[in-house]
Amino acid sequence: MKKFILAASVLVAVYSCKKEEGAKKENSTEVSSETPKSTHKIVTLNGGITEIVSALGHEKEIVGTDVTSTYPESLKATAKDLGHVRSMTIEPIMAVSPTLILASDKDINPDLMGKIKSSGIKAEVFKQEFTVDGTKKLIAEVAKAIGNTDYQKLNDKIDADLKQVQPIAKKPKVLFIYARGNMLMVSGTKTPMDALIGFAGGENAVKDFEDFKPLTPEAVVKANPDVLFFFSSGLQGAGGNEGALKMPGVSQTNAGKNKKIIAMDGGLVSGFGPRLGEAAVGLNKLLIENTK
Amino acid sequence: MKTQSKLYFYLTISTILLVIIAVWSLNTGVYDFGGKSAFEVLGKVIQGDSGLSLSDKYVVWDVRAARIIMAILIGSMLAVSGTGLQGLFKNPLATGDLIGLTSGATLLAAIAIVLGGHFKQYLPEAVQFSLVGISAFIGAFLSMMLVYRISTSGGKTNVVMMLLTGVAITAIGFSITGFLIYISKDDQLRDLTFWNLGSLAAATWTKNIILTVVLIISYIILIPKGKALNAMMLGEKDAQHLGINVERLKKQIIIMTALMVGSCVAFSGTIGFVGLIVPYILRLLFKSNYAFILPLSAIFGSILLLTADTFSRSIVEPSELPIGILTALMGGPIFIAILVKFKKSM
Repeated sequence: MKKFILAASVLVAVYSCKKEEGAKKENSTEVSSETPKSTHKIVTLNGGITEIVSALGHEKEIVGTDVTSTYPESLKATAKDLGHVRSMTIEPIMAVSPTLILASDKDINPDLMGKIKSSGIKAEVFKQEFTVDGTKKLIAEVAKAIGNTDYQKLNDKIDADLKQVQPIAKKPKVLFIYARGNMLMVSGTKTPMDALIGFAGGENAVKDFEDFKPLTPEAVVKANPDVLFFFSSGLQGAGGNEGALKMPGVSQTNAGKNKKIIAMDGGLVSGFGPRLGEAAVGLNKLLIENTK
Repeated sequence: MKTQSKLYFYLTISTILLVIIAVWSLNTGVYDFGGKSAFEVLGKVIQGDSGLSLSDKYVVWDVRAARIIMAILIGSMLAVSGTGLQGLFKNPLATGDLIGLTSGATLLAAIAIVLGGHFKQYLPEAVQFSLVGISAFIGAFLSMMLVYRISTSGGKTNVVMMLLTGVAITAIGFSITGFLIYISKDDQLRDLTFWNLGSLAAATWTKNIILTVVLIISYIILIPKGKALNAMMLGEKDAQHLGINVERLKKQIIIMTALMVGSCVAFSGTIGFVGLIVPYILRLLFKSNYAFILPLSAIFGSILLLTADTFSRSIVEPSELPIGILTALMGGPIFIAILVKFKKSM
């Protein structure tokens, strides 16, 4: 019996190794036979990447997206929402029969990445940087991956939009609060919000840590922001302006005293895709209005 | 001899049931094989049919079959470890989760996930690859030693002490994991949360082979211990008189349980209560006869976890529920039932 079990497990091992070899071979032929074709069935797993693919005119080729891909809205009708990349599994992705998967290195979970690699489907993982040049580079890379060379106009639009940003004489200190359910996080440096606040002529109110950290009353008072900045959905969930003003510590800050609370669409603000300039101009306008 | 053939009869029936559930599970999922059943596709994969599409093959073999086998292996090992511990501690509440074993494994695995990046490069490559797994095993083993040392004196295990030690280890684990959650980045945080509730989504054949090796080693040592555990119920002295090397038996159960729980946590995260539910049901059916319930729990654990996993990945399509939610939902009421039943004796 023991021998039999051992023999069986060795067989399984040998068989699975063989499978991998086979998969690799078939994969290479599949890719080469597809190269001349210009249309794909694309799964995009990042809001910014989804926007780039759509802006390049390939929206109809997107068959599945992640939960952060909220723009353009028309995608809702044509592409399947596969959920959050951290909890996504491979089978629902396979179920939409994609020929190309596009993702960002930051948010995809390693297990899913491993599964995608071994599935044999062509996948491209891009490095996303929260800078203007990084965004332009991402646009160029995504365009290359889907076989479209006509991307310069998107980059030009970002530049043109950014030129409309008005300088603000006294940079307002902006505190971005990420409200998700009962959890409130503030954004430190090296976050998309930190970069966008800078592009829009403001200054991030917290600079002593990277990434997102839970909000504490003392930290809010210490940061003393002039403006509180939310995602529209987050502000709504937190009880609107009223709710935000009641958050611990807020009433002690300039923003709380002057009731300066702004909100923007989460997809627009954090996408770092073709609408980067648009987002910066939008935030710039709100900051000017709220620092008068 | 008669009891032996009865055992084989039950083993056969439950194995058939397990196979039926596996077939159902193989056919469940969001992927469409273009009119073919998953079973047909699997048949073609086994025959090596070259006309089969790469995606069909991948979904049936590397996604669904790998996951089914992982559910069978992990379910089986969690149940057997629960049954073994209950025999050792002579108490139906002794399971890996309740005495802090799972918590210990989870804690060290979480440390490896969040802080591993800082010291990974100094370790040999083989260890880097399985750092989380090795940490989980060490965590399970240390907790097991601690529980055993604290709750046992003069060869007698104090059940209340044992459960309280479990509570203490779980509390310490919870607080340190909480700290790790606080300092982790958003992506690590999501990994930790999802992983704390367990999932079989990351099943691969390589992991299955490792789990199979652990299972074979543990079962060769543990499964024949049914009679010895029956004797232990009479008390350690009486068991000794019956010719059982009690100390050796204890050591074997402790090491094998830690090995099994540690490897299960490492590959699937925390899936609670399997070790409580399965022996409970078997005890209702066969009384506390370990010669019966130890081998049977190996199959019933698989049945339970495979069923739960198939539900977890099909009720909220295209997403899936962490499986720990389902097993805890089943285990909670059983835990209360056991407490009520043993109210007087505790």
